[in-house]
This record gives sequence, structure tokens and C-alpha cells, in this order.
Amino acid sequence: MNLSNFNEFCNRAASQGVLFYYTGEFSSNVIGTLSDTVRERLEALGTPNKHGRKVFSTFMEMAQNILHYADDSATAGRRIGALAVGHEDGKFYVLCGNPVRIDHVERLRAKLEPLRSMTLDEIKAAYREQLRNEAHAEDTLSKGAGLGFLTMAREASEPIDYQIIHHAGDSAYAEFYLRAVI
Amino acid sequence: MQALHIPATKETPEVRLDPVNMSFHLSGESYPENAMAFYAPVRASLQSFLESPALGSGGSGVQAHFNLRYFNSASTKLIRALVGMLQQKAAEGIRIVAHWYHDPDDDMMAEFGADLKDEFDAIEFNLVASETA
Repeated sequence: MNLSNFNEFCNRAASQGVLFYYTGEFSSNVIGTLSDTVRERLEALGTPNKHGRKVFSTFMEMAQNILHYADDSATAGRRIGALAVGHEDGKFYVLCGNPVRIDHVERLRAKLEPLRSMTLDEIKAAYREQLRNEAHAEDTLSKGAGLGFLTMAREASEPIDYQIIHHAGDSAYAEFYLRAVI
Repeated sequence: MQALHIPATKETPEVRLDPVNMSFHLSGESYPENAMAFYAPVRASLQSFLESPALGSGGSGVQAHFNLRYFNSASTKLIRALVGMLQQKAAEGIRIVAHWYHDPDDDMMAEFGADLKDEFDAIEFNLVASETA
């Protein structure tokens, strides 16, 4: 990238309200550093606690999702992803993207699609049900409580948005993008 | 029975089990990468604490303080399970008083506490809106 392209990149980010953007490997140390940065940026903006906490919670769910689920078969075990936090039109957004295995795509859709048409009360009811669901341990792919997307949907003020971008040819993985507005 | 004190880290809460006051404290933030690895020993210690002979009926019971500022989704079921252990003891007739502190602006933390209070009704459950939560 030359300097004028970099200038364009910076201006584009500023015009979209980007407070914070990271792309690369996600590890515990990286997430620890990013979490400090996100909190500092939110504080510097004078974000009320109530919103700051929701943004931080969403950021953490997305960052830990990348750490746990980003497909690492093409990157020698390193979990690669991208994450952005921004502020636009009076609302915060948190975005993330990472590669996922093709055979996990339908599972993601099945978890996310129903959330998009649920009311907040329905999301809260589904959250309670999943919280008490002891059978979740049978979901061998999940490394948490099965509450990550429900937590994001609860924190968000709009339906969470996702996109799956397939590569040309018969690639074994696709790009998974997720967006939450708070 | 031994006292337990696990100091807080950036991503794990402080845990205290005090056999003198018969109190349990969980406070701070909880978003470890591997929540199970953190909570498994906490669970084991709380279990042996609750099995202490000093806790026979007639004692003053247990005071449990939950003062959490933030926890991630992977911690939620594990925190709920700790309250479930207290409930089991309370159902056996041991007095258990739980205090769930939350920032007044934190509706998620308040609702989580209210749900626990509804579900685990053998516990004397106090929801405390506190600026210092």
C-alpha cells in the first residue's frame, strides 16, 4: 500500500466512524490487549456505562468466537480474523469476520437465522432455555455454553446480521461475517 | 475446612471462601478463554465448603456474595451452577443468603440475578443495585 492509498484507507475508516480495527491472529494475549484498547476508546468518547458494557460484551463474544472457531486448517493452527468497533448515526457497531469450514456453514445459519426474526422477549426466553439446557454438552463443536449468539442478540438493538461468502472453486472454507448494532 | 482465596486477574474474578464467617465471594470480571478450567476447582472447593459439618442446621448458614461487573457467555452456565449448588443445600434446610450486586445501569446483570432468584427459590436472594458493582 502506498501512502495515498493508506490516506484513503484512513479517511474511509474515519468517515464510517471506525473506532478500532484489528486483523490478524487472535490469541489470548491479543484479545487481552484489544479489550484494553476497546475500553479506553469507549471511555475516551464518554460512552455511558450501559452502552459501553454492551459494546464490550459483544466485542468479547466475537473475539472469543474467532479464537475458538476460526478455521485454522489453512493457517497452520493460527486463528485469523478481523474485528472492528465503530460509532455511526448515534449507535455503536461491532463487526467480525473469519474463515469457517464449509461443513459448519449450515450449523451457523441454523443458529443465526431464527434470531433475526425474534423479538427481544423471544430472545430472552431462548436465552433462559439455553441457560438451563443441560443437553448442550452433547454439541461437541461448541466450546462454551451455546449462549454466544443469543448474548449478542440480547445486547443488540437491531437484528444481528451475518454473511457467508463462498470462495470460487471447491474451497474447504468460506468467510463468515457478523454484525451487531448496539 | 480450608479457606480459599483466588485473587482476581484481568479476566477471572476474585474467589473467597471463608470458613470463619461461612461466606462465599465471587467478584470482578469473568471472561477466561477456558471458563471450565477456571470454574472446575471453584466448584470443587465450594462443594467441600458446603459439606462442612459446621454447616449443620442450627448454624447461621452461608452468606454468598456475587459482585460481578461482567461475565462472558461461556461463564454464565458455570456461575449459574454455583448458585445451583447453594440451592441444593438450601433445599436441605440450611439457611443460604445470596446477595447479587449489579450496576443500576446494567439491565442484563439485573435480569440474570432476577432469573436466578426466581429459579432457585430455596435461597434467600437479595438483588442489590450498587454503583460499586
